[in-house]
Amino acid sequence: MGSLVLEALVKRYGASTAVERVDLDVRQGEMVALLGPSGCGKTTTLRMVAGFITPSEGRVLIGGRDVTRMPPYARDTGMVFQSYALFPHMSVAQNVAFGLEMRKVGRAERDARVMEALRLVQLDHLADRLPRQLSGGQQQRVALARALVVNPAVFLLDEPLSNLDAKLRGEVRMEIRALQQRLGLTTLIVTHDQEEALTMADRLVVMEKGRVRQVGTAEQLYEDPADPFVAGFVGRCNLLEGRVEAPGRFRTRAGDLLLCQAGGDAGEAILALRPERIALRAGGEGPARLAALTYLGAQTEYHVDFGATRLVVIGATPAAADPLRRLAAGDAVTLVWEASAARLLPAAA
Amino acid sequence: MAALVLPAGLLVVLLLVAPMLLLFRISLNRFSPTELMVEATTAQNYLQAVQDPYYQQVLLTTLGIALGCTLVTLVMGFPAAYWLARMESRWKSLATIVTLFPLLVGNVVRAAGWMALLGNEGAINAALIGLGLISAPLPLLYNTGSVVVGIVAVVLPYMILTLAAVIEGIPRQTEEAAANLGGRPMTVFRRVLLPLALPGVMAGCVLVFILCMNTYASAVLLGGPQFKMMAPAVYDQFVRGNNWPFGAALAFILLTVTLVLTVLGSALIGRKYRR
Repeated sequence: MGSLVLEALVKRYGASTAVERVDLDVRQGEMVALLGPSGCGKTTTLRMVAGFITPSEGRVLIGGRDVTRMPPYARDTGMVFQSYALFPHMSVAQNVAFGLEMRKVGRAERDARVMEALRLVQLDHLADRLPRQLSGGQQQRVALARALVVNPAVFLLDEPLSNLDAKLRGEVRMEIRALQQRLGLTTLIVTHDQEEALTMADRLVVMEKGRVRQVGTAEQLYEDPADPFVAGFVGRCNLLEGRVEAPGRFRTRAGDLLLCQAGGDAGEAILALRPERIALRAGGEGPARLAALTYLGAQTEYHVDFGATRLVVIGATPAAADPLRRLAAGDAVTLVWEASAARLLPAAA
Repeated sequence: MAALVLPAGLLVVLLLVAPMLLLFRISLNRFSPTELMVEATTAQNYLQAVQDPYYQQVLLTTLGIALGCTLVTLVMGFPAAYWLARMESRWKSLATIVTLFPLLVGNVVRAAGWMALLGNEGAINAALIGLGLISAPLPLLYNTGSVVVGIVAVVLPYMILTLAAVIEGIPRQTEEAAANLGGRPMTVFRRVLLPLALPGVMAGCVLVFILCMNTYASAVLLGGPQFKMMAPAVYDQFVRGNNWPFGAALAFILLTVTLVLTVLGSALIGRKYRR
């Protein structure tokens, strides 16, 4: 049993609520990402799991054991801090050994496990260095080794990649994921970076203003977002306010009629349409006019005015001979999408 | 850049080093009851001070009081400094000012306040007698205890502010990481917080120890006539005995002992905790 369960977790600070009834079930060996903008309560939730913050209501269970009122040192979680929080006065090996010492692991076994953990993050040759003598990426790996060496019941990652440069971030992301899967670690990761969450986690929890908006796999969140916030936060999305006039017909607030998924009740709604699900063709008799285009290398981003409605379209950059390549602002274009790609979401709550 | 240091440097030489050299010269002179100070070059004053059991006792008392007060101040100051350093609310600046507040009152005035509180007719004894808990006043004033209380009250703000400045520089996450790895609060304190706060502990102890060694008002007013520390003894020689050479020698002994112990203590603690 290494599962992590959050039951109706609430944290209030005076009159304001940081976390509002969060329920979550992380299975043994699963990696779940808490994703959301800053101030959405994701870090508060993580810190309640670690025991640094006491919940106002609800329970935290680790491996079926209620740890809600337990101090951090009794919880058996392994946390990697955003700032790494290495002990600056201890060597790399001493940092990693700390958790084992606290668990009264004997000297010989301790040394062996420290070296094993350092080998795992490829730092065994730097065991005697001080943290300040290491690069940011190396410090991060020490923090990983320090948290992993104690075989924690739950592995907690607080924005672990935010202090690394872009290139390193991609590598470390893969490394962490590989380690987590190899060791079968039950993991909760907090991030504001959707790409990080999408690529690393088995399931994502999208949070906003202390509430869970949706829980699901990356594909579920992307293909079937529960509400406009999730649609807009996970990936890019055209979100248009308006109303369903007839099955499959959506009238934007600006007055333009668009094709949308069938089903869905008539009335106020928000149409969510991914930019890459719209196909762009040159020419056409319709009202669509190219307003601007941005060359992004492999892709090109088009801003198209459809009557009074602005739509973003992203497509693979066309070949040199393609007529699309000669499009300029003001040209007439035609937009094509599958009715099922234009999803109807409940109007903003 | 060096030119900018010059005015301050000159001031130090003029107002500190020069008088000290003069004082040292005086300490080598001879004293005669009729002629007072007689020009000479002798270590007689130092030998006399070191060999006299009375001054040995005064020095020991001074050392004991200074070490004891430093320790008490450290133990009392650390929790307060930690609390102050980790405070996040808008009350933090207010708490800092409140910590500094006692320094606004001069040592003599403060000692007088303690006398009013601890004396035989003082507030505490009056209250206890009034309540019928005791029949005769407790001897709260004019002993080692009252001196320690008076000194600690003077030096505590220095210790708290010195420690708080250093503790503030230790990220809270470092402590959280230690707790997360299974460290109980005392272990986190011993293995992480204290070693990282050591520069502050040393700076605070040195500062407080020096202040304690040179205690004057608290020793005189709260210790009573039987209680002798070095600074009042120096004063007595200069003013009452008119024996400047011997007073100067005592002053230099006090200075040397303070300096040597401060340097030794810092080196010792530093070596113990430095990797």
